[in-house]
Amino acid sequence: MTSEHTPDQPDNAIEPAPASPEPVSEAPVTPAAAAAPAANPTAQRQRASQLAQALRAELQKALIGQTAVIDDVLSALIAGGHVLIEGVPGLGKTLLVRALARCFGGEFARIQFTPDLMPSDVTGHAVYDLKTEQFKLRKGPVFTNLLLADEINRAPAKTQAALLEVMQERQVTLEGRALNVPLPFMVLATQNPIEQEGTYPLPEAELDRFMLKLRMDYPEQSEELNIVRQVARSSKADMLEVTALRTLLQARDVLALQKIASDLPIDEQVLDYAVRIARATRSWPGLTIGAGPRASIALVRCGRARALLRGGDFVVPDDIKGCALAVLRHRVRMSPELDIEGLSVDQVLQQLLAQVPAPRL
Amino acid sequence: MRLTDASVVIRPRSAWEAVDLGVLLAKQHAGLLMLSWAIVTLPIFALLCLLLWDYPSIAVLIFWWLKPAYERLPLFILSNALFGSTPSLKQALKALPGLLKPQLLASLTWRRLSPTRSFDLPVQQLEGLSGSARNQRLVVLGQRDAGGASWLTVVGVALEIALMFGLISLFYMLLPAQLELDWSWDTLISTDTHQWLWLEHLSNLFYALVLVLWGPIYVACGFTLYLNRRTALEAWDIELVFRQLRQRLTGVAYAMLLSVALLFMPVADNAMAASEAAPVATDPNGPDAPRLLKQPLTSEQSQESITQLLDQPPFEHRETVTRWRFGDAPEDPSAEDAKSLDEWMKKLADLAQLWKSVDGVALFFEVLLWTLLFSLLAWLLWRYRDWLNAFAGRLRMPQVRRYQAPEQLFGLEVAPQSLPNDIAGEVERLWAEQPRAALSLLYRALLSRLLHEQQLALKSSDTEGEVLQQVHALQQAELSKFSQTLTSHWQNLAYGHQQPHAALKDELCTGWRQLFERGAQA
Repeated sequence: MTSEHTPDQPDNAIEPAPASPEPVSEAPVTPAAAAAPAANPTAQRQRASQLAQALRAELQKALIGQTAVIDDVLSALIAGGHVLIEGVPGLGKTLLVRALARCFGGEFARIQFTPDLMPSDVTGHAVYDLKTEQFKLRKGPVFTNLLLADEINRAPAKTQAALLEVMQERQVTLEGRALNVPLPFMVLATQNPIEQEGTYPLPEAELDRFMLKLRMDYPEQSEELNIVRQVARSSKADMLEVTALRTLLQARDVLALQKIASDLPIDEQVLDYAVRIARATRSWPGLTIGAGPRASIALVRCGRARALLRGGDFVVPDDIKGCALAVLRHRVRMSPELDIEGLSVDQVLQQLLAQVPAPRL
Repeated sequence: MRLTDASVVIRPRSAWEAVDLGVLLAKQHAGLLMLSWAIVTLPIFALLCLLLWDYPSIAVLIFWWLKPAYERLPLFILSNALFGSTPSLKQALKALPGLLKPQLLASLTWRRLSPTRSFDLPVQQLEGLSGSARNQRLVVLGQRDAGGASWLTVVGVALEIALMFGLISLFYMLLPAQLELDWSWDTLISTDTHQWLWLEHLSNLFYALVLVLWGPIYVACGFTLYLNRRTALEAWDIELVFRQLRQRLTGVAYAMLLSVALLFMPVADNAMAASEAAPVATDPNGPDAPRLLKQPLTSEQSQESITQLLDQPPFEHRETVTRWRFGDAPEDPSAEDAKSLDEWMKKLADLAQLWKSVDGVALFFEVLLWTLLFSLLAWLLWRYRDWLNAFAGRLRMPQVRRYQAPEQLFGLEVAPQSLPNDIAGEVERLWAEQPRAALSLLYRALLSRLLHEQQLALKSSDTEGEVLQQVHALQQAELSKFSQTLTSHWQNLAYGHQQPHAALKDELCTGWRQLFERGAQA
């Protein structure tokens, strides 16, 4: 489960526009923003969104249907946030993450969360080396770019809490030393909503650190036909192949994308709209607990990423509204009355969104 | 009806004793009663099941509702059997159509839920009373045993339910274990599976079977309650004793009469003429005459003091008791003679009737209380209106609400009155110095047209993208294209802060004129 790392850290300074050319990618688009000089932000931005769209097209090859989920995962990647994916078994949660890891040239690690998993299994620990007669730091699987936390709610709270620090501060404190994880760093956690026995629901603090909570739903009929056709042809028993996917971007490309997205202009009105949505959850009668300021921040960041993914040069209210459900649904708690009536959080949030006026100019 | 032929001992009983007697009576004729009941009800049940195969609960409801109709036959049998002439099954079934006719509608509608059903049935079936005569009769009869009859019904409901569940669990226990293992309770509970309909019909059948047992007993108990009440009212037991006396003495009566006559004959012969009638004067020497007049204590004085003594304790104990009494309490019937007893009974019946007509005061209070209740409800609704808006609003049936076009959208005035007449001209005029105002005016005009001409239900929470989606849903290619262009330029200006270039002016104005102004002229 743990993987050996050399103690020295990879360079984690953000490179705004890496000057080196693209590595492997023979994508139809010109390799990303990497080559673009900072002088021409518009062209840089266009290239960035082309790259993002190429990535999306590649992922859609692996994961048929679920375009909305792919968009959301990509916007979280661009916005530098973490994602919690929820869905019944067999919808391709893990497949999506594997495909993303395949398209992404950086490091990828996977932790299967089990009830007996310890925090040190996640973060790493010190071991005594008999030869050198010294304690040697053994880094855990979190020291990676993409971390798949599979079935995260199967581990008890202390193990889940091991992720708290690394998710927020991008660093792990081991033996009193704060070690930085390589950037970009993204946690993709999956959980199963139906099987609640023997699981540990994520605490609020942990949930709040996830930028988006995505729901995977059953595919449409035509899409399912397509899936069945492809999988039935596959040589591996019942798995979709991800080996055919090309590696489209490297770690620094992702950092560049993130930088470009965070530079995307956003009008004051749109900013205000995002804040109003987050604030509305706090006074909404159907919600007992509203979203905190992290929600407003996540709304804006995710809106920027969506704008980039859309190919736009600026953020429009649609970008904010489009990601509002995914940003808010795990940060609010529904009032028990509505819960008893069988309403879902999404329905309540949709009512709320229908009441918040769009930006006024 | 001859009381001497009655197969039960007629004497006044308590209501519970009477019910007990009813059970015995039903037990005595159990075979006939249950067989006839089964012959009548089971075909009806089967017919209902066939007709309403998909609605087992409605079938059993109708079957249950028809119970008063089935109950007439057992009463017929019981009333005949009580006085010795038990009908055969064939005779009973033949009599059924005639029994069903009178007041069937009333029995099945407003009297269906009466708690004293089996007690009231003899009045209409055996006495043949209807209308107000029946009501008066029931008032008289119900004075004592109505409570017992109601309890009989309540116990009957409980018994029916208990017996039915008992039968169902017996059925379940008799299932072989292998079959039981495969029993999937989920599918049993889910309503949409039709394969379990037969099971519901089966449990309904258990109800029908329970009724075969309980129905006749219920009727018999009601009947004996009724008999008991009449025994008390009409003193059947005393009448019976007299009749028995007469029967016993019929032979010796003549001889006795003759001997008595002979005994008195000589006395009549020796009678003499009456002497001159003298007024009976008080005897001057009688015990009441004043005597001992010359003594210190005369007889009058002594009598007076005796009376006084007798008037005091311990010979007389008087105390004053004060208590509340109803002013119009019926007088003690024992004070009346036999003739006025009848009158008194009538008065009592009238009084009972009066209770119903004296509702004037009660009506006032009823109205008052209802008004209070409604105002309380109204106050509660008003008090918790916010809460109800939030939580109960969604419970309402989805109603087609007339869409009220908002006057403002995204902070822009979109009412048609607020826009200039020649929009394209105005835009062209504004474009040079205030491009933002010009584009804003054009977008506002587009929204206004969408709202008022295309009747799009736009809300203030709709973003530009959602407005566009609604326009696309209209499936008007030109409008969609124009809206798309305009929206993207408007977004560029508003959120991207990019100035529109000059060529755009003509394109948009031409598009506007083609779309709307030509349409307006046409």
